[in-house]
Amino acid sequence: MRLIKPDIEFKRELGQLSGSQLNQCMQCGNCSAVCSLAPDDRPFPRKEMIWSGWGMKDRLVGNVDIWLCHQCGDCSSYCPRDVKPADVIAAVRQKTYEHYMRPRFLSKIVSKPSLLPLALAIPVAVIIAILSMAGTFKIPAGPVDYSAFFPHAWLNSTFTTITVLFYALASWGIGSFWKDMKRNTPSPQGEKGRVPVFKVLGEILSHANFSGCGSQKVRKYAHMLVFFGFALLILVTLYAIWASITHNYPLPLSHPFKIAGNVASLMIYCGLGIMIFHRLVNKSVFGKSGYTDWLLLIAIAVLTLSGSLVQMARFGNWDLAYHLYFFHLVVVWFVIMYLPFTKLGHVFYRTTALFYARSIGRK
Amino acid sequence: MSEVKGNRILAVCSGCSIGKALDVEQLVQTIGGENEGLYCMQHPALCSEAGVQQLQGVIEENTAGSVAVAACSPRVKVEQFRFDGSYIERVNLREQVAWVMDDGDEDTQTCAEDQVRMALAKLGSIKDVKPYIPENLSSEILVVGGGISGLHAAIEGAEAGYRVHLLEKGNRLGGYAGRIHRLLPDPGKKMELRDPDIKLLSDRVEAHDGIDVYLESTVAGIEGEPGNFKVRLENVEKTNLTVGSVVLSTGWKPYKADNLSYLGYGQKGVLTLEEFEKHVEIDRVPDRVMFILCAGSRDKDHLPYCSSYCCTAALKQALYVREKNPNAQVYLVYRDIRTTGFQEGFYKMVQEDDAIFLTKGSIASVVSKDDVLQVIVKDSLLDDEVLIESEMVVLASGMVPNSSDELNLNYRLGKGIPQIEYDFSDSHFICFPYETRRTGIYASGTVRAPMDMESSAEDGAGAMMKAIQCVESVKRGEAVHPRSGDMTWPELYMERCTDCKRCTEECPFGAYDETEKGTPLPNPARCRRCGICVGSCPERVIGFSDYSINSVSAMIKSVSMPDEFDEKPRVLVFVCENDAYPALDAAGLHRLAYSPYVRIIPVRCLGSVNKVWISDALSHGYDGILQIGCKPGDDYQCHFIHGSELTEQRGENMQETLETMMLETERIQTSFVEITDHHKITEIINEYMEVLEDIGPNPFKSM
Repeated sequence: MRLIKPDIEFKRELGQLSGSQLNQCMQCGNCSAVCSLAPDDRPFPRKEMIWSGWGMKDRLVGNVDIWLCHQCGDCSSYCPRDVKPADVIAAVRQKTYEHYMRPRFLSKIVSKPSLLPLALAIPVAVIIAILSMAGTFKIPAGPVDYSAFFPHAWLNSTFTTITVLFYALASWGIGSFWKDMKRNTPSPQGEKGRVPVFKVLGEILSHANFSGCGSQKVRKYAHMLVFFGFALLILVTLYAIWASITHNYPLPLSHPFKIAGNVASLMIYCGLGIMIFHRLVNKSVFGKSGYTDWLLLIAIAVLTLSGSLVQMARFGNWDLAYHLYFFHLVVVWFVIMYLPFTKLGHVFYRTTALFYARSIGRK
Repeated sequence: MSEVKGNRILAVCSGCSIGKALDVEQLVQTIGGENEGLYCMQHPALCSEAGVQQLQGVIEENTAGSVAVAACSPRVKVEQFRFDGSYIERVNLREQVAWVMDDGDEDTQTCAEDQVRMALAKLGSIKDVKPYIPENLSSEILVVGGGISGLHAAIEGAEAGYRVHLLEKGNRLGGYAGRIHRLLPDPGKKMELRDPDIKLLSDRVEAHDGIDVYLESTVAGIEGEPGNFKVRLENVEKTNLTVGSVVLSTGWKPYKADNLSYLGYGQKGVLTLEEFEKHVEIDRVPDRVMFILCAGSRDKDHLPYCSSYCCTAALKQALYVREKNPNAQVYLVYRDIRTTGFQEGFYKMVQEDDAIFLTKGSIASVVSKDDVLQVIVKDSLLDDEVLIESEMVVLASGMVPNSSDELNLNYRLGKGIPQIEYDFSDSHFICFPYETRRTGIYASGTVRAPMDMESSAEDGAGAMMKAIQCVESVKRGEAVHPRSGDMTWPELYMERCTDCKRCTEECPFGAYDETEKGTPLPNPARCRRCGICVGSCPERVIGFSDYSINSVSAMIKSVSMPDEFDEKPRVLVFVCENDAYPALDAAGLHRLAYSPYVRIIPVRCLGSVNKVWISDALSHGYDGILQIGCKPGDDYQCHFIHGSELTEQRGENMQETLETMMLETERIQTSFVEITDHHKITEIINEYMEVLEDIGPNPFKSM
């Protein structure tokens, strides 16, 4: 039997993040009834709502069910008390990143708009430091050649190292998250479940669970576009790193990987366009779009856009090419390094939670 | 009592498809032929202006004392067929003949003829009405109890111009409302707790010229009847009063907390709502306070009912905690939050405080450990079983009504008011709020039902209106309810009374006391005119001017009886006029057909059916008798409390009588319906006809 000690600060933070009057939830369970993804056994988000109302942080941050949700907003649309379960789940996710991610101050600075300048200042400072060390912190003369500004060896070694460092810290958080899920939602049979890796990957790639969401059908395609666009871009980037080491870089515009990269950008533009449009138009379904929602969308948009511009600047020999390149690197840092601390952290947490859920037969 | 003077008239309407179902001309000829000197008229629309005018003319020309109006149900067109100075008997040819039986059928025609015959037989045996008005009439009203309900009753009565005597056992007015710390928000006004305002009201009451306040006073005795209650007060002055009616507002007491040890009561830090109300005034509030709702309520081992106020009171006290100690957390464990009416808005207001935590759950145990109360909550919304720690636990327990024995009624049937389930002094809680089972005494506030202060205040006003209605009705010699305006009353032929006291025992309203010699002593103003005493009397000495052993017997015997070889059975149906009769009318409206062999006699209550009517009917040749009344039982629909129950009890005796007469017990059947049961009532009749078909005709038919 567990001792309940309401954490009122946690409750207040959830309330602020979600814009929900948590106490007004009357536990009717309508949210769980309309949810197409809630398991039959102890469905969500009814219980998550009262745990939020009681500030039960330990139950919520290490909770597998929070990640089974696809944020379709059906629960919020049908809530008779307007306590927006979908937004509460989003808020719990945000608190989960903050809880598990180290260094903790990074989660703080990406969660508040007032700290955005600081969040941007860090990559700016780091990149200037690297460039100074490389001795190339000045605009090169001649046709645009980014490696003259940021030598490939420096770029690849520093960015890769930092990324690996960040993700090592993230995986440490993911480890505690896995342990907490096990404690909060033990396997019903008590046995050690096998993790069905390919089944879960198939589930993620096919976007099958999106189809059940009644409120916004088009989300599935928007997410697919961004998801596969992003995946393709990562692939292209990896190829680019490899190419810059082994043979001539940059690639010509006609190179298959260059084409793939541009197609990927196009997919992301389309997907993001739909997402942003829906957030602006369907306010009743999404509820309040918060800072973290917009931060993710805008960061990816700016990342892709600045990438495209950098490419154009190279082929067009623009005067501002190096400024744009610098800016693009800052945004790359912003998205890649801060990724586990922002809403994009769902890439890790959701995947982990899905592995756990399916391993204990929860669906 | 004298016979009704003047001639009898029969007026038949052929409108509303009566003329289509019946040969009205033939009906008038047949009945006219049987009754020499009976003036008969017919009209295609008797209730029309022309029809009423024609009837008025006929009444005047023939100096008619009584009129049988054979048209629609007596429940409709009441105003049209009211003629001062003439007794009107309505024959229900529309709802109960034309609309439910085959058009133009011989049996339909016979049924209509018999229903008219019965009405004429009744008119031949009724007496003139002479209203009963008690001597020394008083219009003053006694209010017992100076709580919020009593205060509102007193002020409303005095403002309406009646002298009110307000009695309070304690040394101050205000009752429970005078002991509470803060009030709920005013509906529609600013959502915040308010300071108590009962003092404003009690000051107004004390200053009012029309109200006499008696503090530290109780009732030593009440005798008499509405309009003339003699009241002796137990106080320093030994005051004696004569009042016309009484409002009982003696309120409630909290459920005995000692019985709540299973919720930790008795341990340090465990309080009741009442105790916490005092605690916040004088003492500090700890950092964690838990409220346990439904403490000993809706629990068959304690109070089986919902007291309706405790949820709101606990929510209010949760705000006290937060006001007194801004760092405090409040936990509320409920079964169901029941905040009624405007209180729902208050509930939402409480929910805005995020330091108040609510969950459904039931309490497994409350154990004190190192000055901390450890509460195990089962089946909660949080989890199957959880432990919550708190420095203080407040038990929201329910209301127990105060006893009405404080009235000290000098009645043969006891000094209090007979109570409904759970000891509340109420009567018919759906149709007749405030009515108790003692005429002229009206209950208001928590003594009659659990309720909050707002409802108690309203209740006081409501009960006072009934008390005023009673005073005024008694002045005119009328019944208050449910037969409002009825001027008849039970008259006893004492010479033949054997002092068996059955009437005194069976009267649901305690109208009968007894003399020192043990003879029944009626108090007619206490009577509700149900006629249960008529049904109870084995000597058949009790009757109303228009509802007596003779009048109903005459109706029974007036029906033409075909002989047993005609295979046309006759069933006498006694129909309670309160719920069963309207249900039968509704069956007519829905054109739900039933047998034309029934002959319907409306009765004031099934309990008023005297055994002699049954034997009269059997010896007259009826094949069966069907009694249809309201539902008996604790959640009764019976307008006269236990008339239907009495019929069931008497039915057992009746079965024995049938057996000694060598008759099948199925020849008498009693059924109960609700007012909405129009489908069921026709089924009851038709199924009974099938039963009768099986057992064959009454062997007494041709005797």
